[in-house]
Amino acid sequence: MARMSQQPTDGKIVVDGIDKRFRSESGPVDALRDVNFAVEEGEFVCIIGASGAGKTTLFRIIAGLEAASEGTVWLDGEPIEGPGTDRGMVFQEYGLFPWRTVLKNVTFGLEERDLDKQARLQRAREMIDLVGLDGFENSYPKELSGGMKQRVGIARALAVDPEILLMDEPFGSVDAQTKQRLHEELLDIWSATNKTVLFVTHDVDEAVTLADRVVVLTGSPGSVHEVVDIELDRPRSRTDDAFADYEQQLRDAIE
Amino acid sequence: MSIDTSTDSESGLFADKELVASGRRQRLLRGAAGSAVFLVVWQIAAMPVPTYLLPTPLEVAQAFAVELTAPAVFTVPLLDAEIGLTRMLVNLSDSLYHYIPGLFVGGAAGIAFGIALGWSERLDDAITPVQRVLRPIPPLAWIAFAIVWLGVNHQGAAFIVGIGAFWINFYNAYAGVNGVPESTKEVAASLGVDDDLTMIRKVVIPRASPEIMTGIRTSIGQSWMIVVAAELFGAPGVGFQIINAAQNLALDVSVAYMFVISIVFLISDGIFQRVESRVLVWRE
Repeated sequence: MARMSQQPTDGKIVVDGIDKRFRSESGPVDALRDVNFAVEEGEFVCIIGASGAGKTTLFRIIAGLEAASEGTVWLDGEPIEGPGTDRGMVFQEYGLFPWRTVLKNVTFGLEERDLDKQARLQRAREMIDLVGLDGFENSYPKELSGGMKQRVGIARALAVDPEILLMDEPFGSVDAQTKQRLHEELLDIWSATNKTVLFVTHDVDEAVTLADRVVVLTGSPGSVHEVVDIELDRPRSRTDDAFADYEQQLRDAIE
Repeated sequence: MSIDTSTDSESGLFADKELVASGRRQRLLRGAAGSAVFLVVWQIAAMPVPTYLLPTPLEVAQAFAVELTAPAVFTVPLLDAEIGLTRMLVNLSDSLYHYIPGLFVGGAAGIAFGIALGWSERLDDAITPVQRVLRPIPPLAWIAFAIVWLGVNHQGAAFIVGIGAFWINFYNAYAGVNGVPESTKEVAASLGVDDDLTMIRKVVIPRASPEIMTGIRTSIGQSWMIVVAAELFGAPGVGFQIINAAQNLALDVSVAYMFVISIVFLISDGIFQRVESRVLVWRE
């Protein structure tokens, strides 16, 4: 990484020339090649692509869980070099701590900070209220449904007040009905907190429902094929012609 | 070893509870019937033969009562103090004097090593060859060292017990820590955990606690087996009494002491099971 390098363009998150190569038994495998895009402050951006297009790899690089082979991801003008609480992460398999109650899951990230217990608990309760889980503070993850687990995941990620929310197919394991409700709730939370959201999915319907913009990754190695602005007012209705047009456009783009 | 899963169904309906209760009553009845048959068969088998070959249940019960009540003096090791107890309690105290230190020290060391090697790949790579070679050696095979270093006494027996407890706890803790999913650690890192010690304390140990608890529980039982074996070499205690009485042809006393081990094991295992289910309420 060039020491004097600077964020090339404006944006909350700038993904700048990301390559990722994995070593494997049969030689190096390219997962991502020259991925570039930017996300504005407060924007809701979905990353979409067929499986194998490197969505999750890109998510892990932005999360700081994986190093890029080339290129830099910038957050507020600073290069990302590891995981951190400036990015709240929500995972498909929830990643809850099964030995902790809902409340203690949400306070986890706050415990690493200089906060007294009272302030921690208050903050955690606010987040639990925000995701609609009040009354379940003392339940263990095993007692919750998939949708409730993911609400805990969101509350926990938001508790540390991150700059952005990074979500990797967070609703991939819940049923369609719950998914729809979680979409509405997520949009409510988004407008209540003004967070920047980067949301990985393979579901075009989900992308059109949620996103301001959709980054389409295609190919192997994956690269940005197209960035689609979704210019629909919220709440969006699946039965709109325009909704269906966007869905078709994304579907075509993925293939 | 989950024998009684029916007791923790708190959320059941009344009908369920009744079913559970009647199921438990039935199980108790069957258990009582089975035990009665066992005692009768034992009695019938033992009646025609002399006590020094096979004592009857009644003779064992009598011997048990005598040993339990006959006064004896326990010399507290290291302190040189004397306490008036009964024969059985003196023998039990002797056994506990090497069981408890061996179990605690060996178990704690095993857990610590297990966590360290499970966590650090470098340490694991370095120590695995030695560990692989040493682990299959039965604890009792170390008796030679116990004798030359410490002698046939509490320390020697505690040493043997400690080796047994070490390996059981080492292996369980190691497997538990190794089994902590990478994703769980990644979540913790994303929530601000950025040093190894915090990660081990707040994530790895709690996540591995079911395996660690299994190790402790297994070693509580296994250590009694080792105690008896170590005492066959002459260290004082319950195990020594089993052999000693048998050599005096008092097999009823031998069997009484066999039951002492069983009773102590059941009590300690029962207590630990309660602790375990408390600590691990979160487990699926």
